[in-house]
Amino acid sequence: MAKEYIKYVDVTKCDGCRACMVACKNWNDLPAEPEEFQGSLQSHAKVTANTWNVLNFIEHENSKGDLEYLFRHSSCFHCTDAACEKVCPEDAISYTDFGSVVINNDKCVGCGYCVQNCPFDVISLATYKDKNGKEYRKAQKCTMCTDRLEEGMQPACVVTCHPGAMQFGNKEDMLTLAEKRLSEIKEKFPNANIYNPAGVGGTHTIYVLAEKPSVYGLPEKPKVPTSAVIWKDYAQPIGKLMLGATTMAVMAGFVSNKLFNKGGHDHGQDEEGGDSDE
Amino acid sequence: MDFTRRQFLKLSGATAATLAVIELGFDDKKAKASAKDFKISQLKPTPTICPYCGVGCGILVYSDGKDVVYTEGDPDNPINEGTLCSKGTTVRQVYTSDKRVETPLYRAPGSAKWEVVDWDWAMNRISEKMKDTRDRTFIQKENGITVNKVESIACMGGAALDNEEVYLLSKLMRAGLGLTYIEHQARI
Repeated sequence: MAKEYIKYVDVTKCDGCRACMVACKNWNDLPAEPEEFQGSLQSHAKVTANTWNVLNFIEHENSKGDLEYLFRHSSCFHCTDAACEKVCPEDAISYTDFGSVVINNDKCVGCGYCVQNCPFDVISLATYKDKNGKEYRKAQKCTMCTDRLEEGMQPACVVTCHPGAMQFGNKEDMLTLAEKRLSEIKEKFPNANIYNPAGVGGTHTIYVLAEKPSVYGLPEKPKVPTSAVIWKDYAQPIGKLMLGATTMAVMAGFVSNKLFNKGGHDHGQDEEGGDSDE
Repeated sequence: MDFTRRQFLKLSGATAATLAVIELGFDDKKAKASAKDFKISQLKPTPTICPYCGVGCGILVYSDGKDVVYTEGDPDNPINEGTLCSKGTTVRQVYTSDKRVETPLYRAPGSAKWEVVDWDWAMNRISEKMKDTRDRTFIQKENGITVNKVESIACMGGAALDNEEVYLLSKLMRAGLGLTYIEHQARI
C-alpha cells in the first residue's frame, strides 16, 4: 500500500514569488484568469476552479506595532475527514492511498454541495460548454498532483519552491519537521503554531504559521459541518435501514399473504389443487 | 390489464429488494478514482537554460514534437536543483503563447502599422543603418586626443547571455564599432 504523505508548508520561509501558482497551472494545464487589482500584491482574491492555489499576501501589525508582511500558499487541505467527500451525493469525491482527496470528474454533476460545505473554501465549480454550446459545471480543486504521486514524483508546487518553504514526504517525517521548525521560530514569532486542525481529522497539507490562524484568514477550529454529519452519518443510514425494513415488511406481507390466501378469496383455484393433493 | 394483488406484491417486493441490495451491498467509494493520462509518460525531456535572469537555472522541456507539453526545473542542475521562480516556471509560454511573434516585424518611420518582413531583409536593414549611423557620427579626435568612439549608438546585453556570447558582443561593439555605451539589462 502506498504511504500516506503530507505537504508541509513553512510560511516563514516563503518569499512570495508565486512560482507554486504558476507551476500548478503549468502542470494541470489550467487557463489564466485575469483579475482586477486586489489592493495588494495578491493576484486572486481566493482559490478558484481554474486557480487551484493562490499566494495570500497579508499585511499584519504585530504586538510590537510593527508591520509584518505575511505570505501563505493557499490550496486544498486534503482533510482526513473531508466534508466535501462526505456530502457528495454522487460519490464523486474519494480518498486516495496517499491521503489526498480527489474528484472524479466523470461522476461529478456540478451540484455544488462540496463548495458549500468546505470549511476552508478551497473547492469551486468551473463552467464548461459541451459540443452543443450547453453549459455544464464540474467541481475543481487541487489534487495534490495525485497523478504525479502515482508516478513517484512530488507535487508540482513543492518541486518548484526555491526557498524550500514547501516540502513533501511521509506523514510522520513532516510532522516531526513541523515540530522542529516551530521550536526554532517560537522566539521570533511567539504566536507561531502548527496548523493541522483536529476538527477535520487532521489535514494532508500542514502549515507552520507565524501568527494565529485567523491572521492568515483561516478558521481557528474548522470542522465538518454538523448538517453534513447528520445527513450522511445518521439520516442516510437510517433511511437505508428503513428501506430495508420496508423490503422485509413487503416480503413478509407477500409470504403471509400467500399463506393467508390458502383459505382466502383465491379459494377456488387453490383449493382444487389442494384437494387433489389431500 | 389483468394485474392481481399477488402480482403487484411480487413486483413491488422484487423492486424493493433490488433497491436494498444496491443501496446496502455496493460501495463504489472504495473504488479508486480513475487516473487521467500521465501527460509526460512517453516524452523525453530536453535540458535547457532559463532565458530570463543571470542565475541560469536548468529547465527540462517536455515536447511531443509539435508542442511544448510541460516545463519543469531540472533536478540535476546544481544551480537550481529542480526549483524555479514564477517567471522561470512560465517558460513554456515562450513557445506556446498566442502572443508570440514568430517573424520579424518592421514599422517604417511615420507608419502606424507593423509589417511582416523576412529575416534577410531585417538583418540587412539593421546592419545598413548601424554602419550608416556609425560612419556618420564617428568621433576620431576629442580635445586633441585620439578617441575613435561612437556615442550615437548604445548596446544593451541581457542576463541570459552566456560568457561566450557576452565576450563576442562586447568585442563587436567595443573593438569593432567603437561604442562606449555598453550596458547590461540588470543595471537598468
